Amino acid sequence: MMKLEEILVTRNSVGKPVQRKEDVKFVMGKGAYVDDLDIDCHHAVILRSPFPHARILKIDTSKAEALDGVLAVVTGPEVAQQTKPVPPRAITKPARQYVMAAEKVRYVGEPVVAVAARDRYIAEDALELIHVEYEPLPPVVEIDDALRDDAPLIFEEAGSNVLLHDRLEHGNLEDAYKEADLIIKEQFRMHRYSSTPLEPWAIIAGHEKADDSFVVWANDQQPGRSTVNVCNALGISHYRLRFIVPDSGGGFGIKLALWPYIVFLCLLARKVDKPVKWIQTRTEHLLAGTHAPDAHVEVELAVKKDGKILALSMKDIENDGSFVHTSGIYGLIKFATLVGCYDIRATRAELMSVVTNKGPTVQNRGVGKPTMIFVIERMVDIVAKKLGLDPSEIRFRNFVRPEQMPYTTPSGEIYESGNYPECLRKALDLIHYEDWKKQKEERKKQGRYTGIGISAGIEPGTSNLGYYYTSRGVPEYMGNAEGAIVGMDYDGNVNVLLGSVDTGQGHVTTTAQVVADMLGISPDRVSMNTQLDSLISPFLGHSGAYSNKFNDVDLGAVIMATKKLRDKMFRIASHMLGLPEGELRLKDGKISAVKDEAKAVPFSEIASLAYKKILLLPEGVEPGLKEIAYYKNPVAKLPSKTDFNVQLTHSNSVHAAVVEVDAESGAVQFLKYVIVHDCGNQINPGIVEGMVIGSTVHGIGAALYEEFVYNEDGQLLSTTFMDYLKPLSIGLPRFELAHMESPCPYTLLGTKAVGEGGAIGSLAAVANAVEDALSPFGVRVRSLPITPEKVVRAIRETREI
Amino acid sequence: MHKIKVRINGKDFEHEVEPRLLLVHYIREKARLTGTHVGCDTGNCGACTVLFNGDPVKSCMMIALQANGAQITTIEGLAGNGLHPVQEAFSERFAVQCGYCTPGMILSACSLLQSNPQPNEAEIREAIEGNLCMCTGYQQIVDAIAHAAQKAKGLERRKP
Repeated sequence: MMKLEEILVTRNSVGKPVQRKEDVKFVMGKGAYVDDLDIDCHHAVILRSPFPHARILKIDTSKAEALDGVLAVVTGPEVAQQTKPVPPRAITKPARQYVMAAEKVRYVGEPVVAVAARDRYIAEDALELIHVEYEPLPPVVEIDDALRDDAPLIFEEAGSNVLLHDRLEHGNLEDAYKEADLIIKEQFRMHRYSSTPLEPWAIIAGHEKADDSFVVWANDQQPGRSTVNVCNALGISHYRLRFIVPDSGGGFGIKLALWPYIVFLCLLARKVDKPVKWIQTRTEHLLAGTHAPDAHVEVELAVKKDGKILALSMKDIENDGSFVHTSGIYGLIKFATLVGCYDIRATRAELMSVVTNKGPTVQNRGVGKPTMIFVIERMVDIVAKKLGLDPSEIRFRNFVRPEQMPYTTPSGEIYESGNYPECLRKALDLIHYEDWKKQKEERKKQGRYTGIGISAGIEPGTSNLGYYYTSRGVPEYMGNAEGAIVGMDYDGNVNVLLGSVDTGQGHVTTTAQVVADMLGISPDRVSMNTQLDSLISPFLGHSGAYSNKFNDVDLGAVIMATKKLRDKMFRIASHMLGLPEGELRLKDGKISAVKDEAKAVPFSEIASLAYKKILLLPEGVEPGLKEIAYYKNPVAKLPSKTDFNVQLTHSNSVHAAVVEVDAESGAVQFLKYVIVHDCGNQINPGIVEGMVIGSTVHGIGAALYEEFVYNEDGQLLSTTFMDYLKPLSIGLPRFELAHMESPCPYTLLGTKAVGEGGAIGSLAAVANAVEDALSPFGVRVRSLPITPEKVVRAIRETREI
Repeated sequence: MHKIKVRINGKDFEHEVEPRLLLVHYIREKARLTGTHVGCDTGNCGACTVLFNGDPVKSCMMIALQANGAQITTIEGLAGNGLHPVQEAFSERFAVQCGYCTPGMILSACSLLQSNPQPNEAEIREAIEGNLCMCTGYQQIVDAIAHAAQKAKGLERRKP
């Protein structure tokens, strides 16, 4: 692998809080999101199932079609006839589902009919005129309902509501259990929530009548896989789909599952003379725009009296709702952090993916790792309390030590670098841990219930996509990679095209910083097209913004393409100056002789040879100055049940929170919040800070406010932001941040994931702090969110949240 | 259909509209000013915030007819020669990520600074309580607004 000093010739941009290049358009209101594009469209709306589980007997759209302004409809049964079923990734039982409900509806909000009309108001009117006859079936809502022997089957062909059931054991469990002094077992519940990007899903689908091809504009996060899925479902060749992703108003994983909608909107577009536009409403988003699954997790730790954890056993049951494409992945991805930050030598995991009549689930920010770290970090506190140890002490006794890096977990995950003990020490210092422990006792005397919570989390990045297939066998996707094109124009300025998309991470700025320091110029001279176009941008099945892969393979591709460009520029300059390449260097937008700066050629002159005076190019050098490169992560393993890595980089952090709980109202108030974060080398600390805090607030939302509440009939009760409560600017702490930089040895710049860590580490920090605050009442926290109502009930009656 | 006349960012617009047309759709689709966004449809998220006769309103909560004769400022009307100080401050303090909440957030901030030029942190947090941001966790937005207030103070002081 190239060394850092070979990659970067200057250090003027990388590592500095360079102001974001994307901001000007956004602060001016000139962002171009899907709904802002100036495309002459019809408007589509969707009729959704009011039942959680029902057979569709009859659909009558005649009255709707007769309404003035209505242009076309497409129904579920029609879609099923014309498309292939949804491909499952992780589940092992057969489960046939189409992108629109055909014979059965399986959740409230499942699409049944789509209507195209002249405008959105008329289309909404038309929905009222569609008559669907249903035969309601008994709903299966909660995990326990789904697992009953007499439970109605959601997919009859599966013969069970458990679509994936696997057991994976790693390390010598028998010895670990024999050696242990005590076994501590607990049960936790994780609720359903979502990171809810502020811009809902948005799709425009156009059909070219001349050659039966499609153009789609969508705020899709993973266009690489989506193009494959859409083409397969429609049964068309890839060249017949052009997929464009303009600006996107946040993603957080929740924009990974647009493709089923794209499929039926393409069928609708085929029937009309203009592109059709569908803009999801917030209620549609909350009903059917995908959630993180609710889960039951049983954990058992085999522990020595001194607090040393020898083995971890887990039974993880995920309520994956009813979208078979992603069912099962939340269980498997937990292997990225199965042992948390700890040196635990044996693990056992029983995984169950349960299908129910709740809404679909996909990879919400952190994907299963928020649950895993919540469970481990709660357990560690519980063990500490049992053994009379301070919560910090038990962590120090179990951390993977820096000298063990790179550390391979029993299942094969490789933690490449990091100093977990030092990270905790810094956090304890910053929060004045010992001081708060004293203050806590003082405040208790005044009837103020104060608690301190710490949580040490791993933030994995870059998914090794093969892990999805660990239980199924043959992987369709594996490893991770991205593509980039880097070109220089006539003026010597640089333009970058990336296969990935940006949902707010500042890719333009970060990329410009890296390219600038590779060529010794200012980032002002580097631009990037953020609009992805599948027919123009470099593209792989992996392409997209997910699993924190940008800092690794996306920048890897940019670096390799820039290097190719730079090598070619040196060859041309060497020929122009008549000096060997070894005697030349990059400086101030020129390539000059090391010994004599007067001997120099500016980039624009090199470009002039490449683009215009091509007869002056050295022998064997092609005209043009634009290079393409694909870069794959070098450590991804093929999936095998005995040895596999789920993710390929591992940042870490410690969250420490001090809270006060009002025993009368149940309200939780933050007094202090500290985050010490290690994502390896940072490219732009201003961007990193925003991602860390924003991500942490997602976790705090999940810990205290947000929940998709279903009643026993399977109806979702939280369908607007009036019932689904997001964190507001008030009620949050002022976050204090400190950073450590343990470079990743497997990424070109030593960078690691940033963006999901806060959403992973914060849940347990809050829960541990609340349990500590409520210790005078003996209240135990085993579930989230910690709402005022639950707090008051726990204090007065149940002793358990 | 009803005829309305609205002054948006200093420019007059006249249209025949249906009584049920929402103001936000009027601004986006008839006036073609797409910086005003829709995020929740229920008045909770503030992405559709505009200044209506000088006051911040959520334009998804009004029908276009109510704007007859009104003066509206949208995000597109804020910059004069160069960016408005609040727009600059948002960029200088990393207060923008995906940009979707940004226009509404900036207009709420402008409205605050008009009535309270030197707000403290609690006042800033309260003023943007009706604007959701899913990306930043608000801290850099709060800091950007404080920074804008500081910048304005600096400008005042430099005046002769």
